Amino acid sequence: MEVFDHLATGFMAAGTLQNLFFCLIGTVLGTLIGVLPGIGPIPALAILLPITFGLDPLSSLIMLAGIYYGAQYGGSTTSILVNMPGEASSVVTCIEGHQMARKGRAGAALAIAALGSFFAGCVGTVFIAAFGPPLASIAQQFNSPDYFALMLLGLVMAIVLAHGSVLKAVAMVLIGLLLGLVGTDTNTGLTRYTFGLSGLWEGIDFLPLVLGLFGIVEIIRNLENPPPPRETISTRMRDLWPNKQEIKESIPAALRGTMLGSILGILPGGGAVLASFASYTLEKKITKTPRKFGHGAVEGVAGPESANNAAAQTSFIPLLTLGIPSNPIMAIMMGAMIIQGIQPGAAVMTTRPDLFWGMVASMWIGNLMLVVINLPMIGIWVKLLSVPYRLLYPAILLFCAIGVYSTSTEPFMMVLMIVFTVFGYVLFKLGCEPAPMVLGFILGPLMEENLRRSLVISRGDPMIFINRPISATLLVATVLMLCLIILPQFRRTREEAFQEE
Amino acid sequence: MTANDLKFTRRTLIAAASLAAVMPGAAFAQTKPYPDGTITFVCAFPAGSGADVLVRYFSEKVAQVAKQTVIVENKPGANGNIAAEYVSRAKPDGYTVYVHSGTSTAANMSLFKKPTIDVTKALRGVQFINKQPFMIAVAADSPIKDMKQLTEHLKGKSGEATYGSTATSGKVLAEVYLQLAGVSATEVAYKTGPDSLNDITSGQLDFAALDPVFALSQQREGRLRLLAVGSPQRMKSIPDVPAVKEFGYNVDQLGWWGVFVPAKTPDDVVMTLNGLFQKVLQAPETEAFLNKFGGDVYTGAPKDVDELLAKTVEEWRGYVALAKIPQN
Repeated sequence: MEVFDHLATGFMAAGTLQNLFFCLIGTVLGTLIGVLPGIGPIPALAILLPITFGLDPLSSLIMLAGIYYGAQYGGSTTSILVNMPGEASSVVTCIEGHQMARKGRAGAALAIAALGSFFAGCVGTVFIAAFGPPLASIAQQFNSPDYFALMLLGLVMAIVLAHGSVLKAVAMVLIGLLLGLVGTDTNTGLTRYTFGLSGLWEGIDFLPLVLGLFGIVEIIRNLENPPPPRETISTRMRDLWPNKQEIKESIPAALRGTMLGSILGILPGGGAVLASFASYTLEKKITKTPRKFGHGAVEGVAGPESANNAAAQTSFIPLLTLGIPSNPIMAIMMGAMIIQGIQPGAAVMTTRPDLFWGMVASMWIGNLMLVVINLPMIGIWVKLLSVPYRLLYPAILLFCAIGVYSTSTEPFMMVLMIVFTVFGYVLFKLGCEPAPMVLGFILGPLMEENLRRSLVISRGDPMIFINRPISATLLVATVLMLCLIILPQFRRTREEAFQEE
Repeated sequence: MTANDLKFTRRTLIAAASLAAVMPGAAFAQTKPYPDGTITFVCAFPAGSGADVLVRYFSEKVAQVAKQTVIVENKPGANGNIAAEYVSRAKPDGYTVYVHSGTSTAANMSLFKKPTIDVTKALRGVQFINKQPFMIAVAADSPIKDMKQLTEHLKGKSGEATYGSTATSGKVLAEVYLQLAGVSATEVAYKTGPDSLNDITSGQLDFAALDPVFALSQQREGRLRLLAVGSPQRMKSIPDVPAVKEFGYNVDQLGWWGVFVPAKTPDDVVMTLNGLFQKVLQAPETEAFLNKFGGDVYTGAPKDVDELLAKTVEEWRGYVALAKIPQN
């Protein structure tokens, strides 16, 4: 089969000693960047970009790609251990992963995240090789109205995300939407809700928001109710590994997550984020034991982790086949390719097959390296939790501060982080969960832009959303989802689950 | 990070070694000629954006010719106002350098009711980088083949047409053309070129005014047809795309990038910096790099930069009024 010939070409190109070396550097660097809360892959890639000028094009792309998925991977480690999502797609991992860690199953959560990611990475690689070009043409069918419908569906899913009351979840989504409005309006170029603060012109930065809401609030929470003095955490292999039951529950979840992630990753915009949220929603919906969710359900780690890794892989498809970067990281990769004299697009596949397939093959190699490097490290990560709080907390705070400050060397970002910490603490006291708010914050601006564009194009006729098959289908799905939430039967089971808490 | 560290160590070692060899024990001179120390390039875009790649390319190359460490500091926000203000307040010693779009710097003077600084007074031009035009494009399978046909098509739609634009420069190019051609179309604003692609190729938009990097790459991919460039003449690097002017519409809109320092920077420092950039700009590698961004290399004396900046400020006052862009 042609696919295998192509993959063989790729493995030949990526398997040279030099390329393996750069793949290793990339994945190790990426893991480190991911583990440190607050230091995201975007600034890291940008800083490392000039170093790649002197490298062979394939080596430099392999290294940059390695940093990207290494960081995705490392990000889940911090999410699980200390409830600090480094980027949007690991917000979901915090929900169940950190609960598992609190129950002493940190090792299992990390191992499942690792294996799920690896599995998703393998599937993602084959997916790119086999279906890249045809899938890219589907993504090209998405017009503004379709994106609007997709974002709407995503927002409704956000309500299911919370395990508290529906009303609170809706309120949180709406607050997220409002926060997303802050900044310069694309249509008019005027600023909204900035109160004359120039730091708010480009909108609220994601990092201070999420570190404040999740990470620092978590520290305050632990200071308020110190967790029981921890017993010496066992680092015997037997306790670190997931048990049979956990493995049995995660396999189907990982499979479903991989599927969702592979498909959603192709869509530009919030692909990877949407994928992990969607996977969580799906798992929560179909589980037989809904009351486990929110208290460390292993499916809630396996599904989203597989989904975001699969999406991370397939988000290369639009770049490699259409020359369209689907997220900021892909935009950096595109810059790297342009500097190397390669114009990203379908032509790469025919003019430089070694480069295209070499990169695809290197993703699989990189994922393998990540598992090999990280599985033995789990013991060390878990031990990290036995570092006394008086040392761990200041260290985490320091890293958060460095990360937030380095994104744009403005003290204002720190102020923003403090504001969101206070806000997050109030939410915690009121029993509101921040995860739906984050999704609203991310999807809101995209939804607004696409809504307004669609209506300008249709000269104000809302039928544009129903006449297009893609958006019509998505809207029907949204209505169905809403019905599920509103149906009294359904609501009762939700509230029952809530009472148990 | 690592490369800079390496370079630094190597340089320090060499410096230390030569000092030890040439003048052991001697006291060294108090002032050395500029540049002698780390130079900071201020970038008004976030790390990793297309413009950031451009600034980082120059940081790498200027570091080589200046034999100094050059670091890039990202100061994104407020349409470049934060970065411009930061540079204008920096010590005027040539170690804080603003590498940015001169067009955008000038346009901010009229896009804001109260500009934070007067760029022509607070900044001083050093050197140009490039000139790059925005472009008018349609879907590759569109029946519209040139600007005349586009005008006819828009006339036929009698005001019901739409066009996509990215950035204020795109909007201004389209609005100037529409006014000169005596037709109208409604703007649909996109944050980036890629956001607009599907709406263009599916025929939802009648045409689009796009940034050169995106427009050229999608033309190569066979998805867009470039009707014209906004520059007064054809670009050297893309000779097969006509200028809008060739169709009788007097459009002269050319974006340019430049290098700026605080206004009080002394002449000799400015001249040295001008020469350093000149060296980089003359390299064939730089020309190839800039061509990929859809622009031609452009060089000049510091006073040419000051003059063009002042001229661009005036031009944009007119554009902002013409395109009815609301002020912040």
